Amino acid sequence: MMAKSIKVYTLLLACVLIYIFAFFQLKEERQRFLELNFMDFTLPSQFTGPVSLEFKGITADFLLFKFMAFLGGRVQDLKEEYPRYPDYTYQSLDAITDLDPYYWDAYLFSEMFLAWSGNPKEANKILEKARLHLSNDYRPSYYIGFNNHYFLKDFKTASKYLMEASKLPGCPYYIAALAARLSVYSFQHRDGILFLKEMLKNTNDKRARKEFELRIATLEFLEMLEKKVTEYHADFGKYPEVLEDLVKVKLIDKIPEDPYKGKFVLMSNGRVYTTSKMLPY
Amino acid sequence: MNRIFALSWLTFKEGIRDRALMGICIIALVMLFATIVFTGVFGYDLGKVLVDLNLSTIAFAGLLLTFFVNINLMAKDIDKRTIYCVLSKPLSRTEYILGKYLGLILLVCIALFFLLVFSSGIIAIVKSMYSEIFFKNFSWYCFFQAYFYQMLMFFILNAVVIFFSSVSTSSFLVLLFTIATYITGQTIEEVMVFFKKEALGQNTSAVNHWVIDIAQYIFPNFSAFDIKTLASHGKFLPLEHTTALVGYSLIYTILLLFFASMIFNKREIT
Repeated sequence: MMAKSIKVYTLLLACVLIYIFAFFQLKEERQRFLELNFMDFTLPSQFTGPVSLEFKGITADFLLFKFMAFLGGRVQDLKEEYPRYPDYTYQSLDAITDLDPYYWDAYLFSEMFLAWSGNPKEANKILEKARLHLSNDYRPSYYIGFNNHYFLKDFKTASKYLMEASKLPGCPYYIAALAARLSVYSFQHRDGILFLKEMLKNTNDKRARKEFELRIATLEFLEMLEKKVTEYHADFGKYPEVLEDLVKVKLIDKIPEDPYKGKFVLMSNGRVYTTSKMLPY
Repeated sequence: MNRIFALSWLTFKEGIRDRALMGICIIALVMLFATIVFTGVFGYDLGKVLVDLNLSTIAFAGLLLTFFVNINLMAKDIDKRTIYCVLSKPLSRTEYILGKYLGLILLVCIALFFLLVFSSGIIAIVKSMYSEIFFKNFSWYCFFQAYFYQMLMFFILNAVVIFFSSVSTSSFLVLLFTIATYITGQTIEEVMVFFKKEALGQNTSAVNHWVIDIAQYIFPNFSAFDIKTLASHGKFLPLEHTTALVGYSLIYTILLLFFASMIFNKREIT
């Protein structure tokens, strides 16, 4: 009887040991398999939508989880070594936001993993969905505006989106200031002035009010100077060489001081610019 | 009326005794517990993930219950020939259909209510584990509204079970037809939208349009009852919407039960 028990326990122990060995072996093999075989595809929402029936929300969660697991901590490696990285990221986030168009995590990822990885246009496409569905949230317009400003250098479009963002609840006041500054880069002074005056009416924040007033004053100077340059051009058939020429012909008494302590400069196309770029001194 | 209630109570008691019910409840409870771990994996919208997981678990349990317990409860009467005992009593076939339906609904309501209570507890625990900032859009009202809509869907789905049970004696066929109806009901809206979008600028046959239009009137639109995504983002639907769906669910159920009783009255039970 005793001998039989020993045999059974020995067999059991052997099984456990083999299992442990096999487990580690399997783990290693599996890791190798995963490294060799990227699961770098996400089925489009035209398929996942109907197939997930009434479980679209949880499917979106699952796909986002899969996306996070895929990226893991190797975003940098993937960006450099893996050519399909932008396609996979875009397809995944596009499918997820189709399944659940209110899912902020996915939109945030599009900014983090697309825009900051050299694909701002693709990020903007996804963020446009957020702008449509989260119409009361300032962040989608802010991110699109930021991408246009920082990555695409399209200041006019950036200014438009940032202005839109700054009118939405919860938007920090400096976004409005940035929008106005960008309107200067794109020479939309009047838009900037009107926009800031509107913002000034709606804010009680002292810092914000001071900032807005400074910007409005600067924009008004820029607008006034450009008007005078146009008058000069109408009178003399050419643009002045420097702004001081306007004082010489008595179109203005003196060149106004830039509230940001910069200097107003006349450019060859007749536009006026400030060296301060409306940045705090 | 008393006879209907007595039969529904009997059906409910029979359902409670089914071991599959216990299994489904245990799976659902484990899934609900798992939400505590899974929610923490996500970065920002924790409230959304939490509501998604909980409502989906409740819906999944309800579907398992309907497909595997309720269909069996209907088929058992004929398989075990207990239907002869029931119908030999002073009970009309229409009363039999109504009693059975109410019994199935009672079973689903009580099982899912139990899961709802448990799920609410889990949500309260998870909410207390993380900062409020992650639950900005969370709303109990929306959560309960989505649950209520889910129940309205199960009222129709169980009427579908009764309808197919009155047509067919095979529980496998009833299961097949019910699942097919459920899938059609969940996807018909998307198919329609897709079809109409795809058809833009193309010459599609008028027959196709006609078939799709007819299908949307015949099949129940189950996707209308799925507001889980909206609920997870704290979007509350107005009372008019709820009233319209309550009306839709009631009328569709009454029509199905009417046709079921009509067919069942003419059926030879051998």
